[in-house]
Amino acid sequence: MKFAIAVFSPAHAPSSRRALRFAEAVLASGHDIARLFFYQDGVHSASANIVAPQDELDVAAQWRTFITEHSLDAVVCIAAALRRGVLDDTEANRYQRPAVNLPAPWELSGLGQLHEAAQLADRLVCFGGD
Amino acid sequence: MTTLHVIAHSPFGDQRLASCLRLLGADDGLLLCGDATYALKAGSEPLQMLQAANLGPRLFALAEDLQARALDGTQVIAVDYPAFVELSLHYDKVNSWL
Repeated sequence: MKFAIAVFSPAHAPSSRRALRFAEAVLASGHDIARLFFYQDGVHSASANIVAPQDELDVAAQWRTFITEHSLDAVVCIAAALRRGVLDDTEANRYQRPAVNLPAPWELSGLGQLHEAAQLADRLVCFGGD
Repeated sequence: MTTLHVIAHSPFGDQRLASCLRLLGADDGLLLCGDATYALKAGSEPLQMLQAANLGPRLFALAEDLQARALDGTQVIAVDYPAFVELSLHYDKVNSWL
């Protein structure tokens, strides 16, 4: 079965870690992930500038590793990301901002990608909250 | 069409649990995760609401969240992540109360 997973919370929220553990279990159970979509405060889960305290899990880094290892389609909502200062190279240049914090494997795109993922997948599962 | 409802907010901070129980279909399931598992706190009003809803085998909670909060999981079906994945496929849709 194909899953679309949407994450609405930043890397320091329990629900971002929960989404990651769910996504790992999806693949471990032999299912596929059609797309991961990071929306609203979930765009912070994609930021490369996060420095996790030494005694805490670095969930943003774990997302990056997971996505890279499994070559997953990981889309960050562009409107949500811009307003929160999560920028890739193109957007940092376009708006003349001093820093880039969204390198590969993440991709900035529109909300239509979430809609498409929901159509492509057998299940859409959203994660937010505490 | 059956739905698995997923709540991840404390029942002591908002009305999600009460609203969800009001809307829950006869064959829908409810999964409590994160702070929503505090609804199982002994003697609490949210627990009374859950008991009144009498969900039986349709009430689930993430095992790790019960353990982290030392909550009694005897009134729910405790699930790990592989079981969460299976649950999401058992029901036709998953509705997260974001």
